[in-house]
Formats: sequence, C-alpha cells, structure tokens
Amino acid sequence: MASRIVSFELCGREVEVLVKPMTTLQFVLRNQLGYTGTKEGCRQGGCGSCTVLVDGEPMMSCLLPVEDVAGRRVTTIEGITPVEGLAPIQQAFVDTNAFQCGYCTPGMVMLTTALLDHNPAPSREEAVEALGGNVCRCTGYAPIIDAIEAASASATGDATRDAGVMPDRSGER
Amino acid sequence: MTVADYFLPRSLPEALELLREHGPSLLVMAGGTVTMPLINEGISLPRQVMGLRFAGLDGLEPVDGGLRIGATVTLTGLLRQRHVPMLAQAARRTASWSIRNMGTVGGNLFTPPPGGDVAVALLALDAQVEVRSRDASRTLPLSEFQTGFMTTALEPGELVTGIGVPAVAGETAYLKFGRKEANTPSVVTVAVRVRREEDRVVDARVALGAVGPHALRASRAEAILVGSSLDPGAIDEAAEAAAAECDPFDDGVASAWYRRAMVRLFVRRALEGLAQPVAVEGR
Ligand SMILES: Cc1cc2nc3c(=O)[nH]c(=O)nc-3n(C[C@H](O)[C@H](O)[C@H](O)COP(=O)(O)OP(=O)(O)OC[C@H]3O[C@@H](n4cnc5c(N)ncnc54)[C@H](O)[C@@H]3O)c2cc1C
Ligand code: FES
Ligand code: FES
Repeated sequence: MASRIVSFELCGREVEVLVKPMTTLQFVLRNQLGYTGTKEGCRQGGCGSCTVLVDGEPMMSCLLPVEDVAGRRVTTIEGITPVEGLAPIQQAFVDTNAFQCGYCTPGMVMLTTALLDHNPAPSREEAVEALGGNVCRCTGYAPIIDAIEAASASATGDATRDAGVMPDRSGER
Repeated sequence: MTVADYFLPRSLPEALELLREHGPSLLVMAGGTVTMPLINEGISLPRQVMGLRFAGLDGLEPVDGGLRIGATVTLTGLLRQRHVPMLAQAARRTASWSIRNMGTVGGNLFTPPPGGDVAVALLALDAQVEVRSRDASRTLPLSEFQTGFMTTALEPGELVTGIGVPAVAGETAYLKFGRKEANTPSVVTVAVRVRREEDRVVDARVALGAVGPHALRASRAEAILVGSSLDPGAIDEAAEAAAAECDPFDDGVASAWYRRAMVRLFVRRALEGLAQPVAVEGR
C-alpha cells in the first residue's frame, strides 16, 4: 500500500509524518505524534471533541485526511498551552468550573480560541451558536458559556462583564 | 484504512483527467463531511479517492445581479456572502461552525435527506448546476439534477464545477425546523420565493427538504399561489396542498406523519411572513 510523507506546521513547528493514504489528522496527532490533547469521540463530525484549528479556523480533525493539511498551519490544545501555567481561556474554564470529566474541553477551548479571535466580545447568544457543534455530556453548557464570557472579559479588560460571569458559587452544594 | 490512492488535483483539468483515467471507481470527495464519516465507520471502503479541496473550484462571484458559486465554496463562504441573503440564512442553519468550514455547497446537492438544507434554498432560487467532463460541459436546473434518493443526473466522468443563481426575483423566506436549535437534522426545511405585481402573485416557488428523496418543489402549492393576493385562504390552501404532495419518510428524527403536519405548518408560516412583511424569523 502506497505511503507518503506529509509535512505541515503543528503548533509552530514543522512536522513530517509517513502515512497511509487518507489517514485522518486526528489519528496522526494522537497516534503518530503523541498529541493526545485532541480527543476522539464519534469520528463522525458530530461531537467536536477533535476540534483543531487549521489556518486559524476550527475544523473536525476526524474528518480531515492529513494530506489536506499539507503545508498548512495546525493548532491543537498543546499549541495554546504555555510552558508554565495556563492560557487565559484555559484559566477561565478552571475559574467557572467549565468541565467535569474534561473530555470535551480541548475541543471547547480550541473553538473558544477561534471564536474570540473572530469576535473578541461575543454575546451569550453568539457563544451558544458558535458552540453548536461541540457536545458536553457533563456541564449543561452554562459554565462553558460563562468561561467564554470570562475569557472575553479578561482579554478585553471589561471588569463589569467579568464580575457578572464569575458568580460566587462557594455557598452552593 | 483500505484506500490505496488519494489524489489531490491542483486544477480542474487535472481532476477531470484523473476521473477519465480511473472511471467510476474513483470516489469524489469535496469537504468530506458526508464521505469521511462513512469511511471512518467502514460503511464505505473506497480503493481510490479524489479530493477536490485544491482543485480551484472555490470562487464565488456576483454575476448579473445573481451569484456564481464554485462547487467547493464552503458553507462558511456561503454564510459570509451578502449578495443572496436566503443562501446565507440556509448556510447558517446547516450543521455547525467547524463542519461549515469543511463542507461545500456542491457536496450539499448530493447529501441525502434529512440533509441538503442549502439545496432547498437553491431550488427555490431556480439554481442551475454546472457540470463538466474532460470533453464537454453542460448546465442543468437543480430540479433536474437531483433525480432520486442519493441519485443525480451526473454521468460517469463528470464533476459539478459550480452553481449559478439568477438574480433573485421577488421576496424569499427560509425556515428549517429541527428538534433543537443548532446542528440538527431537519424535520422539514421550507424555502419560498414569491414575486408580486400590484398585489397579485405572478410567480411562486415552494421548495421542501427532508420530506422526499431529495429537495422537492410543491408545484400544486405554487399553482394555488399564482394569481392570489397571498390572502389567508390561498395560504391555507397552498399549505394543505404542499402537505398532500410531499413524500415524507419515517426516521429517527420524526415520523412521516409528523413531517407532513410540519410541512403544513411551516409552509403556512413562511407564506404568512411574506404576506405581512413583518420580519419572518430566519430560522
Ligand atoms: C455533524 C454533521 C452535521 C451536519 N448537519 C447538516 C445539516 O444540518 N444540514 C445539511 O444539509 N447537511 C448537514 N451535514 C452534511 C454535510 O455537512 C453537508 O451536506 C455538506 O454540504 C456536504 O458537503 P461536503 O463537501 O462535505 O460533501 P462530501 O462528503 O465531500 O461529498 C458528498 C458527496 O457529494 C459528492 N460530491 C461532492 N462534491 C462534488 C462535485 N463537485 N462533483 C461531483 N460530486 C461531488 C461526493 O462524491 C460525495 O458522494 C452535516 C454533516 C455532519 C458531519
Ligand atoms: S471525534 Fe471528530 S467530531 Fe467527534
Ligand atoms: S466535561 Fe465531560 S463532556 Fe464536557
């Protein structure tokens, strides 16, 4: 079976992989490159746990033959995580309790990264609409939308938004 | 993975040559959002695949007041254009952001129901499908292109290269009804276009999705509307006719009975929205 070498930019560095035809980007990331932050849920395009950015735009890596990203720029959750600490979007997810099992989180964070890149101050409705393809079975979504608002507020320096979306939940439970 | 060859032609001539050389066993793929799930599941086991992502079919330009849409323009590309608002509305109600960044307008013409939400809007706009083989080209109306469940008028060796949308004559409304707001299969999708002179309807299109083997025109409903003043009586009669003439199916999303009932309701809503020009919600 014919194999070929595909090279692309992954999180800021050039990578080269030897693949069989039409191996998915998801498979290459997880099984050949060890970038296991990108998850595997449905492999049907229906859950969003495999969301990565290709040239800055969100795509489902389970539906992308790796040949299709040759020469393009791929960003995964590993790429936005600083060496020390967390990126502001990740911190916002922690602060608002926007995950429980965490399986959807890398996809949610990548989608949020792209959303705030396109629209630095999305309304809640816009955030909900943007997340329409990303499934979370744990949180009920509200804390994820809170995280998007908090991340947006911290990036745009809007303290009033910030106060509004980080309710004190310490008295609950 | 059993694929032996994956071709990514860099131009249309190269794509057409590959198609001629390898014949019908070469599986054509554009955005892959229909094809890849089937391959991942092992339902489709192609030996040879040709991807169109880099074949240069992604141009979108206004032409004579209408629009010429390259076959591989993404659903996001369609959503962002401002020339034909109903097409942006239809794209917005199709799949999710990441899928729209991959899936193409051309691919939507091949998507079996309950998919094909963009095709429904294109049908109401009298879209023409541009088809090319290595040695010939032809253009046919979308209503003749879709011939049955997962069948089209495409011949071996042909590709869809683009879709032509004439200048929009009249007012339009697009409604997709699903079980949830976003990223959801259609129960019924309705696209209507009505052209009026004085108060009389002189031309009408009622296109329906997810209630037949492909996007359908409700021609009896259209005939009832022509000559009417979009009065409540004509709207009721047209909605009733559309419900009677569609050909719905049972699936996990909805029963045929429910789909037919929703055709009646959503055709009525779409027409009422045009009759009283209070903004019809574009969902
Ligand atoms: C999670 C999810 C949600 C979805 N939701 C919706 C929805 O709400 N509404 C909806 O309508 N669809 C939906 N879809 C289906 C799909 O995304 C769209 O129909 C899309 O437009 C298909 O385009 P594609 O380029 O990805 O198709 P592909 O998978 O690339 O191709 C589909 C078929 O079309 C043929 N084809 C494609 N382009 C050409 C061409 N230029 N010439 C000849 N043949 C061609 C291919 O041979 C193949 O058989 C959804 C899909 C997923 C995964
Ligand atoms: S694994 Fe890709 S969308 Fe579910
Ligand atoms: S946190 Fe478990 S799926 Fe979202």
